[in-house]
Amino acid sequence: MRAIDHHAWTNRWRDWHPAEKLLPAGSLLILTLMLPPLTTAPLVLTGMMVATVRGAGVPLQTLLSVLAAPAAFLLAGIPFLAVSVDFAEGVNLHLSAEGLRLALTTTLRALAAMSCLAFLILTTPLTDWIAPLRRIGVPAGVVELILLIYRLIFVFFERALTGHQAQTARLGYSRVDRSVRSLGLLAGNLFQRALAQARRLEIGLMARGYTGELRVLAPKHVLSRTRLAAGLGLVGLVGATSGLLARGLS
Amino acid sequence: MTAPLLAARGLEYVYPGGVVALRGLELNIERGQKLAILGSNGSGKTTLLLHLNGTCQPTGGEIRLDGQPARYDHRALNQWRRRVGLVLQEPDDQLFAATVGQDVSFGPLNLGLSEPETGERVREALEALRIAHLAERATHALSFGQKKRVAIAGVLAMRPEILVLDEPTAGLDPHGVTHLLGALQQLHEAGTTLVFSTHDVELAYAWADRVALFHEGTVLCQGGTAAVLGDREALHRARLRPPLLLEVAEALGAGRDQSCPAPRSREAVLTLLQERLGEPASAVSVEPAVAHSRRGPSE
Repeated sequence: MRAIDHHAWTNRWRDWHPAEKLLPAGSLLILTLMLPPLTTAPLVLTGMMVATVRGAGVPLQTLLSVLAAPAAFLLAGIPFLAVSVDFAEGVNLHLSAEGLRLALTTTLRALAAMSCLAFLILTTPLTDWIAPLRRIGVPAGVVELILLIYRLIFVFFERALTGHQAQTARLGYSRVDRSVRSLGLLAGNLFQRALAQARRLEIGLMARGYTGELRVLAPKHVLSRTRLAAGLGLVGLVGATSGLLARGLS
Repeated sequence: MTAPLLAARGLEYVYPGGVVALRGLELNIERGQKLAILGSNGSGKTTLLLHLNGTCQPTGGEIRLDGQPARYDHRALNQWRRRVGLVLQEPDDQLFAATVGQDVSFGPLNLGLSEPETGERVREALEALRIAHLAERATHALSFGQKKRVAIAGVLAMRPEILVLDEPTAGLDPHGVTHLLGALQQLHEAGTTLVFSTHDVELAYAWADRVALFHEGTVLCQGGTAAVLGDREALHRARLRPPLLLEVAEALGAGRDQSCPAPRSREAVLTLLQERLGEPASAVSVEPAVAHSRRGPSE
């Protein structure tokens, strides 16, 4: 999580207008879901990975670790898609060509879709999404909640980490039963601290004139038509190539 | 005689649950002062500070603003907090936005300023604390000292008349302290009244011009720094010790009367020491004052 956040803040495309990243990535995501996966998904996957690693300069390892979690779920799902069970004469397991094809297309499609999302979260910090969210009419309360959660995640992550280190130093995790107990204590402690923190945060905000609305200056991004056109050009290219390939294969 | 800018009269505060935090406290804050509220840990300093901007409402006695009893309705509180800025001890209790610039913009926007004006205030506040280069950084990626300065900038951007700081130097390294005090000194020279709580007698001695000695919910005595910190008996009652610089200076014979006031900076005490020892000035090396220089470095 920290790695994702770090790269979102420091990658080469950090200062781009979020629309320049959202429109191409979103369009590719839609193409992936609509066009035949066998031809589209590999193109999208490659395109997004190249954009993330080569373009934005996010290390390949970080990108792979982001994709690893959903990929693990996909792998676990493959047998259920590829193998069919037949109860006609006892229990029979079939490995059908159709099932394999289904497993392959589903996996490819899901991975390609994930790569679009990974591109977005690795190149754009959460704050850049706040202004667009407000603009499309998401209620202020929800946006503020997102903002506060994002900020406090790191505060509590830090506390959880130091709390865990302190417990470990006093052998709190030396045995399974102790580990369970220590973890419970840590969670309870964090909960109490969260409440106290919320109270103090309110004092701090009230001292600065808080009246129920968390308004801050929105970051200024200049929309570059060139970059936007280049991004949409890439989408068009992927769409056209995929269409040609599909015709060639059939 | 004009009324003090901010004053506490017979201030009492009992926490829900019966713990008595303040008992009949008297305090005067005059315009343009650097007032240290000096007391040991857990003596109720933070509770007192929370009264100074109306966060806590006293259970007895009153706070006076320009001689007028404070009111606690919504409008009066807003007006009050415009004038009195409060910086909490723990910066994570105060910073909520994702980037430094955004966080600092929160207060000015609440004052109803326009976006260009707010942008100007943000820049000004960040520059005053010498952290303009952090404007676009993520709040959670800052060091403790940086967070502390951002928290102060967030309050400063509202241009309060009185800046109240809870333990401003706690947790900072000597360099951070020097840096912070330098920035605060500039604010002071620009006319901001400063009130800060601390348990560090050396800091109060080197930097405050008035000291209120705080113990168990009351102010034992309030006055000029040299007078209060020279009162051994009162310091002892507040479970504090006299500042080392003052003790050394007194041992060298300074500070006994008006003609020879006790020096308050490290350099001045070392110079005095060299004079008394009769050695040339170069014999004792004078370290650059790091922790408690009276003036910040001219960066």
